[in-house]
Parts: sequence; C-alpha cells; structure tokens
Amino acid sequence: MILLKRINSIWLCCFSVGLFFNSQLLAQTSFSSKEIKVNIFSSTPLEDIKAQSLTAVSVIIPKSKQVVFQIPIKSLTFSLSLMQEHFNESYMESDKFPTASFKGNIVDDIDFDKDGVYNVNVKGVLNMHGITKERTIKGVITITNGKPSINSNFNVACVDHQIKIPSVVFKKIAEVIAVTVSGNYQ
Amino acid sequence: MKHHYLVLSILFLLSFGAYSQNADSILNTLITPERNQPVPSTFKSTHLVLLNTNETQKKNDLAFWIGHRFGDIGGQFGGAKTLFGLDLAPDIYIGFDYGVTDKLTLGIGRGKFDATYNFLAKYRLIQQKENSAPFSLTLFGQSAIVSRAAFNTTEFPKQRDRMSHYLSGIFASKVNSSLSILVSPSVLLRSKTTEANDPKSLFSVGFGGRLKLYKRFSLIADYTLVEGLGRPTDLGTQFYNPLGAGIEIETGGHIFSLNFQNSPYIIENNFIANTQKSWTNGGVRWGFAVSRNFSLFQKKNKNKDIETKIY
Repeated sequence: MILLKRINSIWLCCFSVGLFFNSQLLAQTSFSSKEIKVNIFSSTPLEDIKAQSLTAVSVIIPKSKQVVFQIPIKSLTFSLSLMQEHFNESYMESDKFPTASFKGNIVDDIDFDKDGVYNVNVKGVLNMHGITKERTIKGVITITNGKPSINSNFNVACVDHQIKIPSVVFKKIAEVIAVTVSGNYQ
Repeated sequence: MKHHYLVLSILFLLSFGAYSQNADSILNTLITPERNQPVPSTFKSTHLVLLNTNETQKKNDLAFWIGHRFGDIGGQFGGAKTLFGLDLAPDIYIGFDYGVTDKLTLGIGRGKFDATYNFLAKYRLIQQKENSAPFSLTLFGQSAIVSRAAFNTTEFPKQRDRMSHYLSGIFASKVNSSLSILVSPSVLLRSKTTEANDPKSLFSVGFGGRLKLYKRFSLIADYTLVEGLGRPTDLGTQFYNPLGAGIEIETGGHIFSLNFQNSPYIIENNFIANTQKSWTNGGVRWGFAVSRNFSLFQKKNKNKDIETKIY
C-alpha cells in the first residue's frame, strides 16, 4: 500500500512537471504561411528580368528556431510566357526539380513572444535545381501582436546550382540572381 | 486513480511531441497537391521538318519562320556540278504566325515555289494535361494560292484553280520530357489536278516525332503517307511519300533546324501533292529552318514585380 502511494506520488510529480512545461503551450508552437511572396530579379545591361510567386509555403517553429520554405518553381510568373517556358524547361528543369526549398535554423536570439524587429541569420541548406548548398541567409523577422512576418534578400549564383546559361544568351541572363522573400505568418 | 495519472501523463508526453514536431511535416500539410497541369511545349517550333506541329503561338507572340530547301544532293540534278544541290533553291519560305489568343494562331506566308501565298489558322482544341488529357489536338487549316503566271492557258482556266486548301487535325503527345510524337490525318482539297484519276481531295496521314538528346538539341523526323493511301499509285507521274529528318537546336528565342528531305517544297499544299523526288535516287536534299519569336504589344505591365525590360 505504501509502495502504491509512492508510485502515485511519482506520477503526481511527473504530472506537475508536465503541467509546468505544458504551460508553455500557451505560446504558439508553429507559425505557417501559404502565401509567401518570392521575387527573382536578373539584371544585365541587355535585359532586366523579373518574376514573382505568391504561393510559396513556409513554417517557423519558435521552440527549435527551425525555418523552412518551399516554392513550386512553376508558380513563378513572368510577363513573357515564352520566357517562363524557357525558365522552366531549359534552366530550372521544373519537371525534374519541381520545387526549391530552404531549411535552416535561426542562429541568433529571438523571442517570438515579444513584439519587435529582429535581424537574424538563418543557417541551413538551400535546395534548388536538385543541388543543395549550405547557406547562411540574413533576414528580418518582425513580430507584431505575436505573429511573425519575414523579409529577406539574398543572391543565388546560377553556377552554385548547376543552372547552365548557354553562351548565346549569356549577356541577357545574370550569373547571380537576386531573390526576395517576404510574407506574414499565422 | 493510478490509471488516470497514467493517461494524463501520456497525454502530456504527447503534447511534448508538438514541440518537436518537424517543420517539414507541417510544411507538407500546407502544400496543396499538384493540380492537373497542362503539359507545355510538345514541340518547340511551328514546324517539325516538313509538317506543322500542334504548337500555337502564345497570345501576342509572333513567330517568324524561314524555311529553305536546296536542290538534289545526287542523281541527275545533283552532284558536284551543283555543289550537291547547294546551288539550287527550289523553295524558300518566309512566314509569320501570330497568336491572336493562346489558342488561336493566324499566319501568312510566301513560298518561292509557284510564288505561293498561303494563309493559315491553327486552333488548339485539346491541350494535353498531366492527368486528364494524354494528347493535344490542334486543328490546322491552310489555304494557298499560286501567284505565278500560268505556263499555258489551260493551266488555270479560272482564278480559283490556283487555290488549294489543306485541313488537318494534329494529334500530338509529349510522351515524356524527351519524346514527343504527332499524328496528323489530313485532306488536301485541290481545284484542279493534271491527271483525271488523281483525286482532287487527297487524303494523307502525317507521322512525326522529336527526340531530345540534350536540353537544347533534338532529333526530329516526319513522314507523310499519301501515295497509295489517298492516291492511286499508277499515275503517269511517279510521286513519293515525303520523309524528312534532321536536328533541331534551341537557343532561347531562336530555333534552328538542319535537315534532309526528299520533298523540294515547304508548305503542305505543295509537298503533299507534288513530291516527285525519292530518297533512293539522289532526290534527297539539305534544308534548314530558322524560327524566332517576338512578343508584341507588351502592355505596360500593371505588376511591376514581373516587368521585363529589354534595353
């Protein structure tokens, strides 16, 4: 009987500890967005090319400071449809590699419970055109009323992801593409 | 009592799981499954070797297509004296195809042979889709008019005898990213034929394909079955089925095709009815085609985020 009571008290103890940690559940365990905006920009003296997607998805896990992004390559829209076709077929090979993604962890301190503007570095892996590359990408996380929003500008060198630009169009397509990612999370 | 604690504790442990829940798995729940997307660019150009492809121009796109056929490589008219046909140009074609909408393309062209002017319309009736439609179907109509002077008074007694009309249904399928095929049953309506038993309505079936060897380099070929199908084989003149094969190089904007074929003529209205050369007796020839796309009437893009500037 004493033994049974002891066991009971052990469970009670676990229960209390659990309750304590669980109180943190009041904070949101993950933030997500299905409407992340991704802009790409290629600039050369001959042509400025821009494209945009409004349907990238992203998840942030505050506890682990994990951040993931994924974008369907075909969702990037160009003003010239032939250009979009070439982008998908000849450069990104989106039938073979339908998405690009970034998976990383926030390196710096950030308190998701406290509103504010946080300049952060996210260290992770950028996967594009089937080629992964370790990157540390700078960005700004703004927390308003407990909900984060992000903004980040970074460059992607075509050669890093084995995106080949044939010499005939070399002067029309930049070797380094500027990428902007922004959006609000729920 | 003990059981209650146990259940509660397990619940708590499960709730801890929520903390360590993988961002990836949450991400996967956000991704909407791929919709039934259209399969684009079965072919790159308006033409394969001889035959038109199912491709229509995108809205406001203008395709400029130049075709050239040299003379016989061998046989009586070829050989070293004509530099294997390079001295001759039985047909040269310049044409423009304009995308009125994404589905409807109208075109105009002019060929050297018979000084032929042609007007064409292509309508994309079925678009191949990933799940629902295994092939595309484009309706193709082309009217041609011979504008050269008549050789004699009996050749074109009436003006409309100069006209011919070609109607075709181009079935095409992108089997996978490297192989595309087409089959185009068609009829050529002629106003007048030289021989009485040569039918005015000439039925034919075209077969063609493209095999991508590299991202920008493909093998292309097409064959049109007309002799013995729509046409008796015992005519006074010996006709042959047109067969063309070559390579296609895509450079982003330009498409070059270098090919061999037994037909000296470029548009369907001419080559289906008039191919008198054969691959076997030196009647094969070089040919090439260049196509270039222009995007016209670029609206001042409302969305600055996707604006493309060409300096």
